[in-house]
Amino acid sequence: MGERKSIVERAHRIELANLETVVALRQDRDTEVLIRVLQRCRMRVRHLWPVLGRLPETAEVIFCELTNETPDLLPWMPGEPKGALVVVLNEGEVPDVDLLINSTADGVLSRPITPGAVLASVVLACSNFRYHQRLRWRISRLDESLRSMRTVERAKEILMRTRNLGEEEAYRFIRQQAMSRRVPLAVVAQAIIDSHEYLG
Amino acid sequence: MAFSHSGESGPWRVGVLFSRTGCTAVIERTQLYATLLAIEEINSAGGINQRQLVPIIYDPRSDPALFARLAKRLIIEDRVRNIFGCYTSSSRKAVVPVVERLNALLWYPTPYEGFEFSPNVIYTGPAPNQNSVPLCRFLMRDFGRRFFLVGSDYVYPRESNRVMRELVLKNGGTVVGETYLPLGALHREFVPIVRDIKRLGADVIFSTVVGDSTIALYQTYADAGLDPKVTPIASLTTSEAEVRAMGCDVGEGHITAAPYFESLNSPTNASFVEKYRRRFGDDEPPNMCAEAAYFQVLVFARAVEQINSADPDLLRLVVAGIELEAPQGRVAISHEYNHASVWTRIGRLNREGRFEIVEGSAGPVDADPYLIGCGRALT
Repeated sequence: MGERKSIVERAHRIELANLETVVALRQDRDTEVLIRVLQRCRMRVRHLWPVLGRLPETAEVIFCELTNETPDLLPWMPGEPKGALVVVLNEGEVPDVDLLINSTADGVLSRPITPGAVLASVVLACSNFRYHQRLRWRISRLDESLRSMRTVERAKEILMRTRNLGEEEAYRFIRQQAMSRRVPLAVVAQAIIDSHEYLG
Repeated sequence: MAFSHSGESGPWRVGVLFSRTGCTAVIERTQLYATLLAIEEINSAGGINQRQLVPIIYDPRSDPALFARLAKRLIIEDRVRNIFGCYTSSSRKAVVPVVERLNALLWYPTPYEGFEFSPNVIYTGPAPNQNSVPLCRFLMRDFGRRFFLVGSDYVYPRESNRVMRELVLKNGGTVVGETYLPLGALHREFVPIVRDIKRLGADVIFSTVVGDSTIALYQTYADAGLDPKVTPIASLTTSEAEVRAMGCDVGEGHITAAPYFESLNSPTNASFVEKYRRRFGDDEPPNMCAEAAYFQVLVFARAVEQINSADPDLLRLVVAGIELEAPQGRVAISHEYNHASVWTRIGRLNREGRFEIVEGSAGPVDADPYLIGCGRALT
């Protein structure tokens, strides 16, 4: 009773409930322990064994064996993961380091599987995965911002020239338009550039 | 990390991903040739630190998804940490996440649209400040201010046209039309576009059409009786390879901006052209993409020689700062963005299908992929 409560409580810190979770591991006592703990964390668990072809694309968390086939089972390309991956090692296994790196796993779980280790691996894997996603998102936003900055600069110049505005006024104009239309600055800026172009 | 896949002995293994089939094979094949030429040269001179360079070559068939899968296979199954490859930006963008996640280096020898930097890519073709900016300046001075933009429909043409449009407008020009056709578009699809160009009275056609469609565009233009002396097609990618396919008469008078032309007059280039033709056939001239594919292997070899390792984490540190004599002239890889400093040149095609160089920089120009230093006038 105590253990059950504590795992759910501890899992609560990181949102695990309802995550679509695929367990692609052979049927044994370890796998049973794993699935039970994941279910207690309110994750939606699907047990797939044997694994035929690629794992489902909708999986948000995957547990699978670490073998030469692991990279081929994943439903995404390295660098563009759709979910967190935990690889499971056999008792006493010394992992092949290259294989471990190439699997692009976010976490590792060793047999014999204990509830505490399951919680540790799934929490770390999900938290690392989400952190990477946030960084990737931030990089793509930065790339976008770099482009937008040029667009906004150009629009600002057009306004300054054609409407005789100061730099600050021109910028404020663009910002106000963006706010009242609820669109990004770059969209307004692009529209100003386009219309300037068409009107000559 | 010290997980050296090449091992301490045995050959240096590298991956090579250029298409031999599909709609951009006409140019990618020359990049493959040039890569192999450089590898053979290095090997016949004794390899890198007495170890041969062994290429593992796949045909990604001009398909970005296949590029990504083969890059993954090269790194995971073939245990390669360096890949020479990619022509289209779509294929590069498909491979970049893979090399970033698995920490390999992609050596990319193609002009591209800029606005990118990855610690896992070495860019050896020109960015817009190295080709679009000087091209725009030249066209506005010699031909006029009314630009028509035509491109294949994918990321590179759209992004290059965005940059060109900005340059044209900043300098008092206008864009009278902008249109895109699918990669692999045929002659009949270009007919209405050429008609529009005539009707709108463009001074210059800026083309970012790539692959087989390039031939269709230039041939349709010729069939419509337009005069390249008055309204030339200007391109960043039309090279000796495409001209050979379209016919020299069709190409005459049109303009390309590139770091390299086969016609360059220098001992290094003469030797490169001679070796290239001897190896791949008398009627196979090299081109800007082949030249970049060639010299980037030399840069790789120079870097590996220095540290006796092909580990990307170590290689990345020494690649920046390497300088060498390429067929185009002296080139270097800059510290800032892993982009090559290359020459800027404008070539006009003559009747023999060769580019006459009408303008050029006095030396290599540093890449400015984010156009930080050249936002405004074309001076």
